[in-house]
Amino acid sequence: MTMTEAREVKRPGLFNALVPSVVSGIVLGVIGAAVAGYIVNAATQGGNLDATVAAVYTGWLLFFFVGIGAFDGIVQWGFARRELTSAEELELAGKGQGIWRYFRFTTDHKVVGIQYLATVFVLFFVGAIAAFMIRLEQSTPGAIYFTPSTYNTIVGMHGILMIAAAIIMVSGPFGNFVVPIMIGARDMAFPRLNALSYWLLFAALPIFLSTLALGGFQTGWTGYAPLAVQGLTPGMDAYCFTIIVFGISITIAAMNIITTVMVMRTKGMTWGRLPITVWGVTLSVLLGLTAFPTFIASQIMVLMDRIFQTSFFAASYGGSNWVYEHLFWFMGHPEVYVILLPAMAVAAEVSAVFSRKPLFGYRLLLGGFIGITVLSVIVWAHHLYLSGSVNALDGPFMLDTELISIPTGIIFLVLVGTLWRGRIWVTVPMLFVVGVLVNFVIGGITGIYLADIPTNEIFHGGMFVVAHFHFTLVGASVFGFFAGIYYWFPKMLGRRLDTMLGQLHFWLFEIGFLGTFLSLFYAGLLGEARWAANIPPPFAVPNTIASLFAILIAASVFTFIWNVIITLVRGERAVANEWGAKTLEWTVPTPVPLENFEHLPEVKSSPYDYGSPPVPAGDGVPATGGGVAGAPLQAHPQVES
Amino acid sequence: MSEANIEGNAGGASPARQEPHHLRRAVIIWVVLSVIGIALWLAVAPFILPRAASDLSSTDDFTFVVLTTLAVPVGMFVYVFLGYSLFAFRVKERPTEDGVPLLPRPSLQIGWLGITGGLCLFLLIWGFAAIYLETAAAASNTLVVQVTGQQWLWTFNYPQYGLSSQSQAIELPVNRPVQFVVTSEDVLHGFAIRALGVRIDANPGEVTTTPIITPTQMGNYTVYCVELCGLYHSYMWQAVNVVDNASFNSWILSQGGHL
Repeated sequence: MTMTEAREVKRPGLFNALVPSVVSGIVLGVIGAAVAGYIVNAATQGGNLDATVAAVYTGWLLFFFVGIGAFDGIVQWGFARRELTSAEELELAGKGQGIWRYFRFTTDHKVVGIQYLATVFVLFFVGAIAAFMIRLEQSTPGAIYFTPSTYNTIVGMHGILMIAAAIIMVSGPFGNFVVPIMIGARDMAFPRLNALSYWLLFAALPIFLSTLALGGFQTGWTGYAPLAVQGLTPGMDAYCFTIIVFGISITIAAMNIITTVMVMRTKGMTWGRLPITVWGVTLSVLLGLTAFPTFIASQIMVLMDRIFQTSFFAASYGGSNWVYEHLFWFMGHPEVYVILLPAMAVAAEVSAVFSRKPLFGYRLLLGGFIGITVLSVIVWAHHLYLSGSVNALDGPFMLDTELISIPTGIIFLVLVGTLWRGRIWVTVPMLFVVGVLVNFVIGGITGIYLADIPTNEIFHGGMFVVAHFHFTLVGASVFGFFAGIYYWFPKMLGRRLDTMLGQLHFWLFEIGFLGTFLSLFYAGLLGEARWAANIPPPFAVPNTIASLFAILIAASVFTFIWNVIITLVRGERAVANEWGAKTLEWTVPTPVPLENFEHLPEVKSSPYDYGSPPVPAGDGVPATGGGVAGAPLQAHPQVES
Repeated sequence: MSEANIEGNAGGASPARQEPHHLRRAVIIWVVLSVIGIALWLAVAPFILPRAASDLSSTDDFTFVVLTTLAVPVGMFVYVFLGYSLFAFRVKERPTEDGVPLLPRPSLQIGWLGITGGLCLFLLIWGFAAIYLETAAAASNTLVVQVTGQQWLWTFNYPQYGLSSQSQAIELPVNRPVQFVVTSEDVLHGFAIRALGVRIDANPGEVTTTPIITPTQMGNYTVYCVELCGLYHSYMWQAVNVVDNASFNSWILSQGGHL
C-alpha cells in the first residue's frame, strides 16, 4: 500500500471510543443472551432449563464479539476484498489510544500479553480465595463452614480457575509479549486471531462465574460423568461451556504461537539459537493443541447428555463412565506438561542469565523437553490403573510414565549444571528458580510413587495425589511463572518490582507452601481421601497444620499484590536491559515501541554466550542504561565447540 | 564423577589462583548427607507409616520404604549441588564478569541418562513384579465380598453365606484370603481400605475386583470413598472389622446368613 492510500485516522470521540470496545461488547452480549434465552425458553415451554442456559451462553458469546468489533474486519475488508492499509493496521494495534487500547479488540501482541497477565492475576486471586476456603473447611473435622454442596463447588472452581490460569500463565503473558520480540518479530503471525484468543478467554469468565448463580456444580474440576450428567442444577452447563470456550481460545492461541515461531523469526535466528523460553512455550502449546480437543469433545458429549438426553455416559442406557475418564485424562495428563514445560524453560532462561553462564547443555535440555512432549501424550491411563477399564495396559502405561522421569531428570541436570560455578546473582527471579528446584525435586519424586502400581494402590484418589500435583503445578510451575514475572515485569510494565517485598513474597510463599503440602503428603500416607468437606477425625492433625501454613501463603499473595500496586504507582523506572541479559527483548527500549524494532535485528550467536572467548570491550555485561536498539546483544562472534 | 567430566572451554577465564576442588567437596557432602538421610528415614519410617493390617498393605508399605530410600540420594544430589552453588558461587552485587562457560561432556550426558535409565528400569521391574504377585490364583477358601456403592452408602453382601441383607459394615475373619467384587448403582465411587491396601473404582454397570488379600491384624478399620461422587461424598465412610473366626461365624449367623 502506498502512502497516498493510507487513510487519515480520525480522533475518536466518546461514541467512537466506546463503540467497538469491551463496554459495547458487554452491553450487546447481555442483550443477545437475554434474547436467545427468551427464544429458547419459549420454544421449549420452559421445560428444558439446560437448553435455555446453553442458549443464553451462546447468545452472550456471539453478540459479545459483535459488540467488541471482532467481526468488523470481515465486514470492512472481507467484502471489499482488499488488504488492510498500514494505517488501519496500526489503528487496530491500538496506536494513539492510550490506556483504552487494553479494553478494545487490539491486535498488538504486547497489549494482548498485558491483558493475559492481568487476567492470569485475577484468575489466580479468585482461585486462591477458593483455596483458602478449602483450607478453612478442612482445618477441622466435619463440614462446619460450608455445606457439602457449596464446598464441592468451591473445590471445582478452585481447580478450574487455577488450572486455566496455570495453562495460560506463561504462554499467555510471556508467550504473547516476550516471545515475538525474542525471535525478532514485529507482531504475531495472526494479530487478529491473537486478540480473538484473549477475548474468548475473557468471555468465558462470566460464563464460568455464572455457575454460582445457577446452583454450582458437584463434580470438582474433573467434571466426571455420569455425575456431571446427573447434576440437578444447571451450574454444570456453565462448567461445560467454559471448557469449550477456553479450549477454543487456547487452540487459536496455540496455532498463532506455533506459526509465529515457525515463520516470523528474524535473520540468523536459527532453531538452534532460539531462546529456551521460546522452545518451552512452543512445545507447550503444541502439546495443548494435541491434548485439548478430547476435553472439548467430552464436554460437548456431557452437554448432549444433559440437554438432549443422549446417553454417552449413563450405564443404564448403554453408556460408560470410562469413556469420559479416557477423554478427560487424554487431555489431563499432557496438560500438566503444558503447564510445566514453559515454566521450566523460564527457570532455565533465568538461571543462565543470573549465573552468567551458558545453559549447561542447550541441546540436552531441548532433548528433555521434546522427550517430555512426546511421552506425555501416552501416559494418560496411569490415572486409571484402578478404574478397571484397561487392566491389560497397566504395564505399558507404567512403562511410559516411568520413562518420562528420564527427560525430567535432564531438566535437573541442566538447571543445577547451569548454576554450578556460575557468578550467581541472587535476585528475586533467581530466588524463585531456587524454589522451583527445591519443590520440583519433591514433586517429581512423589510422582514415582503414583506411577508405580504397588504404591499407587495405597495413594490413588487421596491427599498424597493432591500434595503431589500441587508440588509440580504450584511448587515447580507457578514458582517458575513468578521467576518470569520478576524477570520480565520491568520490560513489560516499565518499572522495577520492589526487591525487599519480592524476597518477602518468596519466603512467605515457599515456607507456607512446603508446610502446607508436606503435611498433606502425610495425610495422604495415612489414607485420607480427596475432595472431602468433612475430613475424618484421624486426619485432623496434618490438616490443621496445613491450614495454619496456608496463612503464610495468603500473606505472600497480599505481599505480591501490594508490591505490584506500589510499583505501578511509584516504582523506579526500568532501563532497557534491566539484568544484563542477551536475548533480543532486552535490546529494545522500555517501554517497547509499537512495532518493537526500528530495524529488524540480525542474530549472530546463541543467546547464552556468557563467558565466551574475549570479545571487544564491554562484553558479557552490556551497559545498564539506555536503549541499545540496533545493537543486538546476541551479536557476538559465534564460537562453535 | 570427577572434575574431568565437565568440559570447560575456559579460554581467558582459567584462573591463576588455586581453585578449590568444588566438585570433590560437593560429592563428599552428597555422599555423607545421603547416608545420614537414608539412616534417618529408615529409623523414622516405622513411626510414620500407618498400621498395615494385610499382606498386600505390608508389601505396599515396603515398596514405599524402598522407593523413599532410593529417593533420598536422588533428591540430595540436587539439594547438595544447588546449596553448594548458592553458598560458594554467590556474588553480592551485579556480576561484572561471566561464570565459567561449562558444557556437559558426552560422557556426563550418557552417564546421567544411564543412571536415570537404570533407576527407571529398577522401578519398572519392581512394578511388574508387584503386578505379577497380585495375580496369584484364588485359594479354595477365599472369601468373596460383594461391594455396592451408591450415593452415599456402601453395602456389602456375602454370597458364600447366603447373606444378601445389604450389610453396612464389613466383617472379615483374620488370616483368611478375601476378594472384593465391586460395582456401583449410580455414579463412580472409589472403594478404599487403606489398612488393607485395597483400592478400586466402583463403576456403574461394570464389575471390578480387587487383588486377593489376607488380613493379618485384627482391629477396626474404615472404608472410604475416594472418588468424588456428589453431595455427601465425604460422609461415605463405614466400618471394617477384622475379627477371629469364631466371631466372624457368629456375626454371619446374627445377620441371617448360614455357615
